[in-house]
Formats: sequence, structure tokens, C-alpha cells
Amino acid sequence: MAMSMANTIDIASLSRQVKGEIETKFPEAHIDFCLTCGLCASGCPATGLEGLDPRKFLRLLALGQDEELRSTKWIYSCTNCMRCAYVCPMNIDVGRLVMLVRGMRSKEERPTNLQKSCDLQKASNSTGIPNSDFVWVVGDVLEEVREEEPEWADLQAPMDKQGAMFYLNQNAKEPTVEPEEMVPLWKILHKVGIDWTYSSEWWDGANYCLFPGDPEDWEYTVRKQAETVDALGCPTYINTE
Amino acid sequence: MKGSVLIIGGSIAGVQAALDLADSGFYVHLVEMTSGIGGAMSQLDKTFPTNDCSACILSPKLVECGRHLNINLLTLSELEEINGEPGNFKVKVRQHPRYVDPTKCISCGECAAKCPKKVDDLFNLDMNKRKAIYLKYPQTVPLKYAIDPQHCIWLNKPGKCGACAKVCPADAINFDDTESIHELEVGAVLMSPGFRPYNPEKLDFTGYGRLKNVVTSMEFERLLSPSGPCTGHMERPSDGKEPTRVAWLQCVGSRDENRSCNSYCSSVCCMYAIKQAVIAKEHAASDLAASIYYMDMRTHGKGFEAYFERAKDQGVQFRRSRVHSITPLAEDNLQVQYADEEGTLQRDEVDLVVLSVGMEMTTKSQELAHLLDVELNENNFIKTDPFNPVATSRPGIFVCGAVSEPKDIPQSVVEASAAALEIEKMLSDSRWQETQEAQFPAERNVFAEAPKIGVFVCSCGINIAGVVDVKDVTEYSAQLPDVVFSQNNLFSCSQDTIDQMAKTIQEQGLNRVVVASCTPRTHESLFQETLRDAGLNKYLFEMANIRDQDSWVHQNDPEAATLKAKDLVRMAVARVRGANALPYNQVAVTKAALVIGGGMAGMTSALALANQGFPVTLVEKADKLGGNANRLFHTWQGIEVRQQLEKTISKVFYHDNIELKLGTTVEKATGSVGKFTTTLSDGAKLEHGTTLMAVGGKPLIPTGDHQYLYGSNKQVKTLLEVDEMLLTDINMGSIKQAVFIHCVGSRIPEQPYCSRVCCTHAIEQAVHLKKLNPEMDIFMLYRDIRTYGQREAVYKEARSLGILFIRYDLDNLPQVNEEDGQLQVLVQDHVLLRQVKFNPDLLVLATAVVAHPETKDLAKVYKCPINQEGFLLEAHMKLRPVDFATDGVYLAGLCHYPKPLEESIAQAQAAASRASLILARDMVPAESITAEVDPRKCVGCGMCTKLCPYNATTLDLDTMVASVETSLCKGCGACVAGCRSDAIILKNIANEHLMAAVDAALMEM
Amino acid sequence: MYYATLEGLRRFDIPHKFEFVSIITLYAQWIREGRLKVDPAWNIEGLKFTVQDPCKLVRQGIGDPVAEDLRFVIKQVVGEENFIDVWPNKSNNYCCGGGGGALQSGFVDNRRTYGKFKFDQLTTTGADVVITPCHNCHGQVMDICDHFGGTFKTTHLWNWIVKAMV
Repeated sequence: MAMSMANTIDIASLSRQVKGEIETKFPEAHIDFCLTCGLCASGCPATGLEGLDPRKFLRLLALGQDEELRSTKWIYSCTNCMRCAYVCPMNIDVGRLVMLVRGMRSKEERPTNLQKSCDLQKASNSTGIPNSDFVWVVGDVLEEVREEEPEWADLQAPMDKQGAMFYLNQNAKEPTVEPEEMVPLWKILHKVGIDWTYSSEWWDGANYCLFPGDPEDWEYTVRKQAETVDALGCPTYINTE
Repeated sequence: MKGSVLIIGGSIAGVQAALDLADSGFYVHLVEMTSGIGGAMSQLDKTFPTNDCSACILSPKLVECGRHLNINLLTLSELEEINGEPGNFKVKVRQHPRYVDPTKCISCGECAAKCPKKVDDLFNLDMNKRKAIYLKYPQTVPLKYAIDPQHCIWLNKPGKCGACAKVCPADAINFDDTESIHELEVGAVLMSPGFRPYNPEKLDFTGYGRLKNVVTSMEFERLLSPSGPCTGHMERPSDGKEPTRVAWLQCVGSRDENRSCNSYCSSVCCMYAIKQAVIAKEHAASDLAASIYYMDMRTHGKGFEAYFERAKDQGVQFRRSRVHSITPLAEDNLQVQYADEEGTLQRDEVDLVVLSVGMEMTTKSQELAHLLDVELNENNFIKTDPFNPVATSRPGIFVCGAVSEPKDIPQSVVEASAAALEIEKMLSDSRWQETQEAQFPAERNVFAEAPKIGVFVCSCGINIAGVVDVKDVTEYSAQLPDVVFSQNNLFSCSQDTIDQMAKTIQEQGLNRVVVASCTPRTHESLFQETLRDAGLNKYLFEMANIRDQDSWVHQNDPEAATLKAKDLVRMAVARVRGANALPYNQVAVTKAALVIGGGMAGMTSALALANQGFPVTLVEKADKLGGNANRLFHTWQGIEVRQQLEKTISKVFYHDNIELKLGTTVEKATGSVGKFTTTLSDGAKLEHGTTLMAVGGKPLIPTGDHQYLYGSNKQVKTLLEVDEMLLTDINMGSIKQAVFIHCVGSRIPEQPYCSRVCCTHAIEQAVHLKKLNPEMDIFMLYRDIRTYGQREAVYKEARSLGILFIRYDLDNLPQVNEEDGQLQVLVQDHVLLRQVKFNPDLLVLATAVVAHPETKDLAKVYKCPINQEGFLLEAHMKLRPVDFATDGVYLAGLCHYPKPLEESIAQAQAAASRASLILARDMVPAESITAEVDPRKCVGCGMCTKLCPYNATTLDLDTMVASVETSLCKGCGACVAGCRSDAIILKNIANEHLMAAVDAALMEM
Repeated sequence: MYYATLEGLRRFDIPHKFEFVSIITLYAQWIREGRLKVDPAWNIEGLKFTVQDPCKLVRQGIGDPVAEDLRFVIKQVVGEENFIDVWPNKSNNYCCGGGGGALQSGFVDNRRTYGKFKFDQLTTTGADVVITPCHNCHGQVMDICDHFGGTFKTTHLWNWIVKAMV
């Protein structure tokens, strides 16, 4: 096989900065442990996209191909599904490394909507509707059901009920675009007869801040949720998805 | 000090150690947990790299073990308690009830036929059913039924069944059998409980346990085996269809810290997968597509690389990728999805997936280790020391086989003999103290009797009967002249058949016996001993090989095979008719050993023999001891070699029983086992009973395409040269960048074998350099990383330190150039497929280990063979790894094959153990089939004296008649062939015998 | 998203007094306890169902136990014989292709090429309905079904529970 000099990786001029940064932030990254066995790439649907796969991604790190790492779109085709980490014989969590590389981009360099979802959620919820709208939509839909379906006349959708046994989060998609999709769950909870509540703040369960790559944003939104639930005094937090 | 030994585990290693110890004067208690010995080897179909039938080569050893006067077989038994100290242990062994009286059971199988309770057959890995009363497997030893108390109806509800007791013709069933405690006193304990194949059930992505056509490699062995669940017809589990596309997935439960937590390499899986692929292709009625999915192909043993290459030629596909998931397709087929070397996803459809599962320590073995208070290592195997690989952390307790590290059969056998040696050394004062001598009945003189020939035709399960009509052959035999008895047996070598055979000989008054079965190579001595038990001279015997030379090679033509079997039997009958009783010659043993080669192996053997009180002459051609070890820095565990080496050298130097001859070589030798005479270059003539060859090997000097500027650029070194620099404290820490090239001179057409040691050596050295200077950039250019067994830890450590590994192949060798004195190395990265450029200030070549050219000459002196690559060739690659076909000569170390220090040491111990078998005796058997001169025909030409390689023929110059010194004659027949006046014959192989066979062959049927 | 909260609490060591659970676990528990009574009798036409295991809930969250719960609930709701599992499944299932922010990031072609794995896997089952207990999966599975011309319906689990409630 003829080797082209054009793409030659000159070991003498490697920076391996990206790798170094990852290893500082995540000492258990274990990039060097890679056996290049291909188990990850064999099971990854993102293999081949943008000419990369989990194994090649690790190799870019190991061989200090920083420019490519900083520019490749592949890091947004990897869905962090961790199917690679699930089997990697060396326990390398490629998904997490991808997140760290995502985080090395400035906010402007990131996919707009991805960053926006997180920014909105940091403010309140990922679709950006005012909290008051959420409260209103819940009340409105509830009223409608009670009126139109007599057998559900005493259906509940409690809001900010202090000391409820269960706290329920809500993906923002429903109150925003398909509010009727909230009803089935209410009915189930009603049937079972549990004591539950929504919160009028930090109610969105989407958690998009996990994805753009800034752990502090992710931490912020989770912390807000935790504070909210504890403030309501609910012993159990039900995640609805 | 006791003269007996406790061996725990009837694996091949345990069996070999038992035989070695029992044959050299120690009484052995062999404790086996199940109802029969044989271990994992008994479950294998064929063995690599010789493709021998596993049960066939194992069976004679098991039978020997079962019949041995000085081996007490305790099956269904476990160690309960141990007290005391080395030399004087008191142990308690609990033996569970068999519920069948082994002294009465005739293994007729009536009981199992009638038993109504079907149970998963563990021997076949639950792929089929056996009965609650069962025989572990057809060739098991002891060949006695046992009742499974968990499932037996009567034992669980007394009075409810009892069918077996009703039908047993020997009244052998004993429902009241109870467990017994054996209190034994032994001098030493040896652990050989073997391993357990990894259970992949929790690896959901493999589909094992949920997809029927995903099986483990052990299950596949059973599917291939004639005694397996589909009697060797290779059917896949879901629908019994013969698979035509089979995939093997490597490293399942090995080299995986995530799901299986087994970080080590299991050493054997690459080879057994290739073997299975090759055998499956042979088995298949139509063309079978075999593909092996792997990470590094580890064919690091003797003959392995050639086997690998042959498999490629035979069309086995090798795909370098670990497979993530197996997906079911229509018709029970399976999809294997993998990323190829370019990074493209590929999908193969197959009928059957075999998971090449690794080896693990069993829970029972861990409990045993705990009970014996011996330490385990980080992988949960028994901890050993590289400089004494069979010793555990507790004195007096030894270990061999896969329980101390995954390993193949030859290495397990080597360790078995090595462990026997260590025990012999420890207990040598008590040798022959607790043993008995074999007694045979007085031999019947049959000289004046008319021939009464018995013919026993073996079915060998379906090995023979599957092709040859054995009933027809048996009936045919009965009609041959002088045949008074003929019989068909399922397994002629099984214990009950053997016993029955002896009885038949006596009852029928037979005076000649023919067994039509397999090969005399493995089974002749077993049947001959049976003749002796029956009061017949063992030379009144012939074998007809109707398996290897008939059923195996004419599988597709059963009718012709049956005809050929008849021909072979008829010829054997014709030959045995004229056979005479021959004397059992013996040679008085000269109780001294010659060890050739003063490296680590030679010194280890010499010390091992000397410590048992045998005088040893150690001959070394160089003017100092130590050989290659002088140039080694570390073992792979990072232990300094020099200290141990110096200790060993000084022990040799000051040993009273060792005569050291430096700067000396062997010139010529005469004689044979028990009585050699060797002439050395200093003119000395040595008399010795055994010879050990440990002449070592040497590193290859790189040339041609693989020279990489070696010799012209000073920054290019070999591994040993770097070791020497490290040994002499040359500062290596200032090196900025080092590149290692693996496989320099190995695995190339000119030098096709793998040198086994270089991967580990190079990586360990790189690790050392990296630790000297963590800033140093180190790159390893390799083809396959072969850090087999626990050496995988070194590979992991190297990667964890940031040493980067880049794979190259033969079509794409690294390019090494020099520009203004600066080295430049170019190689293509195997993942990104981009060229990588280095400018190292050190380039290390991991060069091949080659045999010394003189090895060939030495081999000739002792009539030993060498292989194509110039290494000495042992008697049998699997089961006689330190012996030669020539008795009394043994080998160890690099002259056998490249190997690391700890394996050289184990092999040296093993060779010493085998030599002790001879030296411990006053007399050893000598050849009976010797040449004989008819003085009436001899013309005194003296040709025979020139031809005899053993100097056994002499010409009396007075009478001008030649004669043969029987004690020296090995029966090779050179003189017979060379005698122009037909005056010399070989006893029982004279013209009359051969012509009788030829006439019989040509006889009209 | 289950994992984000679960792992967030863990990784950033966020103090909290509550227990964090998935609704799927509770559905299964309530059905087993008889608090939520369901009957598959409604499914007289024998609609066939399959399922998507959300990575964040199953592989990265609770693992196989919640995947088993999910299947238990579906079988109780639609009838055991009307559930066809995908392969690979549970903790080893494929991601829908919309996870990790891919649905938001905008590289549509890559996302759909990725999603083809999921589409083929779901189509192979021949099921009429795919149950996606995660909004992200829901959005992606709907999209690939539409894009690749699939015929299955993509729905949440709760609608079917309500249908089966007695």
C-alpha cells in the first residue's frame, strides 16, 4: 500500500492538547488503554459517519490530531448511547470523551439549537414557555377533561402541593405543543390513587444541558430540580421518561 | 519423611505427574472430584497442532494410571483437611459414595439402559441427556458406573425405583453406600485441578443462552467429538442442520476488564479456534465457510504459526475485529456485525457462532487454595515464582497445569513433570519406600503349541464403526486360519475390555493375539501388558491399524474400508502366526547424567539431578555458565535476572555432584538408554545413563528487508543489546524518542515461526525505559501482540504509561532511513490509515530467536531429530514435550523452541524428572526386537559393522563371522537391510514374517 | 431524561432527600400489586407492539431490570402474544439515533443514517406500534419512520395503559 506523505503525522510536532485537557478533567479517561480491537466500532451506528467511529476518534486523540478533533461534526453524530462503553474491554467511555470534546468548543461554535435548548432550560425549561403558561395549561387541560369526560370528573393535577408523596416532572414538549398527552399519565396516577404534585418551577424533565458539553450547566439544572423537590418535601421523585 | 504424594485433580497434568512420580519410586494418591479422571482434555475432539484425536492420545495414559500398582485413584473425592509439614503431611480426603461397587461393576450399561431418570449430561455441557446412573464418558478411568445422588429416584425416595439394581448382572448396585474418610500421610501435595471454561451467559451482546446457535468452544468440541451429543456429525443445536458457515469470536472472557473481569489472555483460544475451523472444514460434507474474528492472533507455540498459515491456505477467513453483537436472522441463522480494518461496518450471515471462551479458576479450586493456605495472584490463579514455576507460596505444596495460569497441554505436561521433579528432590530419601513392584504371572511356554489366535476388533466408538462394518470384520476374522476366537469391542482400550481380554486369553488358551484398532504408537504397550497379565509373552502380538490407516482416510467409501480392514486383519493374523516369544532384555543403568549446555535450562537440570544424588557432568562450549541469561535484564514480571542467575551459577559451581566442563563440546557418543558413552572435545570419555540436551539458541542478526540499518547506524540496537546497556548501567534516561520494531526475522517466509518471547520482552523493556524517563516517547511497531497468559498485564501497563502501539503488516513494513545521521521511521497507522513519521534516537529491533546451527550435529550424535527450523524435535508435541523417540535422551530450553526463562526452567525440571525415571532404577528395559546373525550365512564382509549406528555389530576377525551385542542393538534394521548375504534378521520381523503378511495381502479373497 | 438527573446527582454530589425513580418501575410495581388493573381484552384486533429501550433509562440508567419491567407492563397492557421484541434489546439495544443532543444538533443526514439501524431493527419485528417511553426516542423514531417510509405508529406507553385500564 502506497503511503501518501500529504497526511503524514509527524510525531515530533504533536501537541496532543485535546487529550491532555481531557485527561486533566477526567483522569479515568484511559485513552491510552485502547487495544484498537474494534469492539466499539463494530456496534456503533455512527461508525463511518464523517469518516470516523469510536476507535478512530480515540486514535485521533492518541495521535494528537487536535485540529480534526476540534472541527469534526462526528462528535454530534455520536449520541452518547454508551453502547461502546457497555462492552469496551478496557472500560473506555467514549461517549464521555465526546462530551468533553464538545465542551472544548466555544458556545458559538456549537450547534445552535443544542446550545439553545440548554440555555432555555437553564432559564426555566427547554422550550422556553413561561412557568405561568405551564401552570395555566395544566389547569386548562384538567378542566377540559373533567367537563368532557364525566367519569374523570374528579381527576387531579396538583401543582406545588407541599408534602405530596410523589413529585412528577414533565417534559416541556407536552405543555408546549401537545398538552393532551399529559392526560393519560394523570389518569393512571389517579387510578392508582397516589398523592402527587407538579412544581411550577424547574418542572422540565428534558435535561438538555447534559449535551452541549458544559458540566456546570448540567449541574446547575439538576441542582435546581433537587432543591425544588426537597423544598416541596416529596420523598419520591418520579422521572416520567 | 513420607514416600508418598497427594495429587489433587485428575487433569492431564495430574495424570502425568502421577505417572512420573509412581514410575520413579513414589506412591501416589490421585484425588479426583468427579467419577473419572481425564479432565478437560478428555472433552476435546482433536488437539493442535498435530490434529491428534484427544481421547485417543490421552486414553493410554489414563489406563496406565488406572492400572498402576503405585497409584491409588480416589474418585468422587475432595480434600477435607491438611496438617503437618513438608515431608510429613497428614491429610483427610472425603470420598463420596458411588453407589456402584467398582469391584463388581462390569460396565455393561444395562443399568443406564433401564434407568428411567434422564439428566443433563455435564460431560457434554448439558447439550444432551444421560441417565441418573452413568458413565462419565466412554473411555473414562475407572470405567465404572456411578449414581448421581441428586437425581436418582431411589436415593431420593427409597423403594420407588431400583431398576438398575434389578437388571445389574453383577449385583454391583449398592444404595446403602456411604461416604468414607481416608486419612493419609504424604510427603508432598500437588495441585492439578485444571480450569473451567468461561461461562459467557452474562455477556448479553453475544446472545449466548438466548440464541441457540451461539455455542461455546467447549460445546463445539463436544459437537465435533464422536462421543459427543451428535456422535461427531456436527449438528447445530437449533435444528440439527449441519452448519455450512461458522464464525468464531475470540477473546470471550479473556482480555476483557469490563464485562468478564478477566484481564489476562487465555493463551490457547487462538490456536483451538483455528484447529476447530480446520477440523470443521474437514468434517463438513460440503464446503464450510469458516471465519475467525480476532484482535491479535496468538500462535506463539511450536508449529503454531505454520498451522495458522496452513489454515489460511485452506480458506479459513481471519477477520481482525472484535464483534459487538450477534443478531438472529431468519431460519435460525445469525448475523455477525463487525468493523473491518478500514473502519467500515460489515455483516456476515452464518449458521453457527462459536465463542472462543477463556480459562478461569474454578470456585472449588479457590476453596482448595484456601484450604491448602497457598496464595493466589491478581488473576485468582495460584501464585508461582518465575524461577520455580511449580512451587506455591507454601513449602511442600506444588502446582501444575492451568490452575496457575492459562496454558496449553504441552506446557501443562511439562509442568507436571517439573512438579514431579521438585517432589522427587524433596522426598528422594524415601524413594521406593512405599511402592510395590509389578508382578506378572509366570509366562506360558507356547513354543510347542499350535497357533491359537484371538482377534479383537475395536469399534473405537464410531471412529471405526462409523465407517467400517466391524461386525462383518469380526465374523470374517473368525474364519481365518488358526483364529479360534474373535470379538468386537466398543473401546478396546477401556479398562473393562482390557481386563476381559486378559481373561479371554486365559479361558480360550490363546497363544497369539491381534487387536484391530488404532495405532501401535499409542496403544501397543497397553495391549502387550494385557498379554503379560494373561501369562503370554508380549511379543506374541500384532496390531492392525484399521482406524488411522482405514476408517479415517476412507470415510467416504465404507465398503472399500471394510474390505481394507479385512485385508489388514488378515495380514496381521498371518504375521502373528509366526511370532516368537522374545526375551525381556534389560540394561544395567549407569547412574550418572550428562547435561549438555550450561545455560539456565542446563544448569537447572543439572542441579535437579545432582540434588537427588546423581552424579552429573555439565558440558558447556563457552568458557562461562549462564548462556543467554547473561544478557537478560528482567523477567517479564520485572524481576532482575542477574541475581538469580548468579545464585544458580554458584550452586552449580560448588555442587559436589556436578562436574563442570567449560569450553568443551561433545564429539561423539555410543550406547543407548542406561548406558551411554560420550567422548568430549577434551578427549574425556564419559559413561552415563541419560543425556539432557539444553544447548540453547541465539538471537538472529537482522539482514535483508528486515535489517533496518542495523549495524550501520549506532542508534539501531537489538533487544539483548539494550538489555546489556541496562545491565551495565549505561544511561538510557536521556533518550527522547524510542521506536521498537517487533517480529524482526520472525513470521516471515524465510523464518516462518513466531519467536514467542519478543513481544513480552520488548514491551517489558519499553516499560522499563518509560519508567526511567516518563518524558520519553515510545512507540511499538508490531504485527500481533503476543503477550500470552498473564503477560497481558505488561502490555496493559505499557499502554497505561502512554506507550503507543502501531500495527504494520508484511505488505507494509516500516521504512527506516537515515538523514544526516538522524533516524527516520515511517509506518502507516493501522487505525487512521495515515502515515506516521518518527525521528527516534533509539530504534530497537525485537529479533527472532534461532537455533544454533551446531544443534543439528549434536542431534545426530544422539540420533535425535530436528525440525525444519533447526530446533530439536521432541517425541510428541502434546504429551511427550521433553522426551525424544530415542529413550534416555531429553531436551529443555531454547534448543526446543524459543521460550521465556520460566518456561525454560520448567522444561529443564521436567527433563530432569524424566531422566530421574531412568537413573532411579538399577535396570531399564532394553530392546527385545534385536538383530541376530546366522553364522552359517555370514560371509564376514563387515558391512553391518559400518552400518550400525549404535556400534552393536562386531566382526570376529578370527572366524570372520559378525555378531550383534544385544544390549546395544536398538532394532533399527540398518544391518539387516545392508547384509548382502541375508545373514542378519530382526527377531519377529524376519523375511518369513514379512512375506507371510505380503502373501496374505495378495491372497485372493 | 433519567440518566441526566441520576448521574448529575451522583457526579456533582448534589444533596437531596428524595428517592429518584422511573415511572416505568412504578407502572410495573403497581400492576404487580394490583393497584393498577389492566386488561389486554381491548386488543381484539391483535395489534402487534414492539419497544424502544431508551439508552438513558436502560443501559445508562437502571439496566436490564427496568427493561424487564417495561416489557412486563407492555405485555400486561397489549397481551403477551402481541409483543414482539427487537434484537438487540434491553441494555444492549441500539440508540434511536436522536440521543445525546443529536435530535437538536441539526445534522439531519447523519442522524437519519444512524437511525436506519433503528428503523431496520423495528421494521424487522413487523410490529404495528412502537412504544417509546422517552420523548427524544419518540421524536426520532417518528422521524425515521416517516423518512424511510415505515408503516408503524410511534407512541408513548401511557396511552395504551389508559386504554387497558379496568
